[in-house]
Amino acid sequence: MRVIAALILMTAAASAEMPGVQNEARAKMNWMMSCQGCHQPDATGSVNGAPSMAADVARFLSVAGGREYLTRVPGVANAGMPDEQLAELLNWTLATFDREHLPADFSPFTKEEIAAGRVRPLVSEASVMREALRKGFQAEQRSAGK
Amino acid sequence: MKDFDKLSEGAVRGLARMNSRRGVLATIGGLITGGAMFPVLPVARASGGATGSGYDGVAPQSTGNPMDPGDPASCDYWRYCGIDGFLCSCCGGSASACPPGTEMSPITWIGTCTNPADGVNYIISYNDCCGKPACGRCLCNRNEGERPMTRPQLNNDINWCLGTSTAAYTCSTAVIIGVALKEE
Repeated sequence: MRVIAALILMTAAASAEMPGVQNEARAKMNWMMSCQGCHQPDATGSVNGAPSMAADVARFLSVAGGREYLTRVPGVANAGMPDEQLAELLNWTLATFDREHLPADFSPFTKEEIAAGRVRPLVSEASVMREALRKGFQAEQRSAGK
Repeated sequence: MKDFDKLSEGAVRGLARMNSRRGVLATIGGLITGGAMFPVLPVARASGGATGSGYDGVAPQSTGNPMDPGDPASCDYWRYCGIDGFLCSCCGGSASACPPGTEMSPITWIGTCTNPADGVNYIISYNDCCGKPACGRCLCNRNEGERPMTRPQLNNDINWCLGTSTAAYTCSTAVIIGVALKEE
């Protein structure tokens, strides 16, 4: 069992399919440990609880302020892990649950960007900000002619 | 002899000045209370051994799997390292299933426990079962790795019956959902 774990760690080379993810197994474990309890294993969230991220979380990257929002939202900013793993986890989440909306020119989150965002965590204003940003999704979709 | 008398009188008076009768009573009271608390400590439970699950009227259980050792109806069972609640194993369910008539909460708190059979850390999801009155049997409150309320995602003192049709808490399960990686 330990040998298997060591092998998994050794094959931790950056994968081309998941930009900014050095260790997919570690990212998945961090997702299980810190996110899925509330967001659900498939990221669909729960009623009156953690919002759904499935099939639309990467759309935040296409609206003004959305990228910064993702680094400051409570679940991200308060997650108990170092900046580097948190950046990896966020990149993994985007590629896993909403690959479709990942911009072609997406530059992965870095630990510096995470560090700058999480020192200013959102609290109760997060849901208000989320709704405002979500309104931008529609406008962005119309201007893209989709 | 007179000096000796004076010396002992001084010592006794000094002792009486510094110690009150109520203080003595408080000390004795503390000893009695402390003695009564001792059997609840894990050391006492561990040395109990042969009594089975450790709960009155609860028969010992087994998973039947040598790689999943221990008694799921006992608070010492390895998967319960972060649990806080009534064990569903004692309430008509099991360590990973809810009793009939209850609903498993999809919202959970998640931690890791070390399996003594292979020394590997497994990711455990503590799903609460909801919808019936609190079971009241086999209270187990270990909370290893718990964090204060400022980190609600890792706090166990809140009711995790969320996302269910009712918030009535019945009992708790400990479901294995994965294997944790070793830290590099």
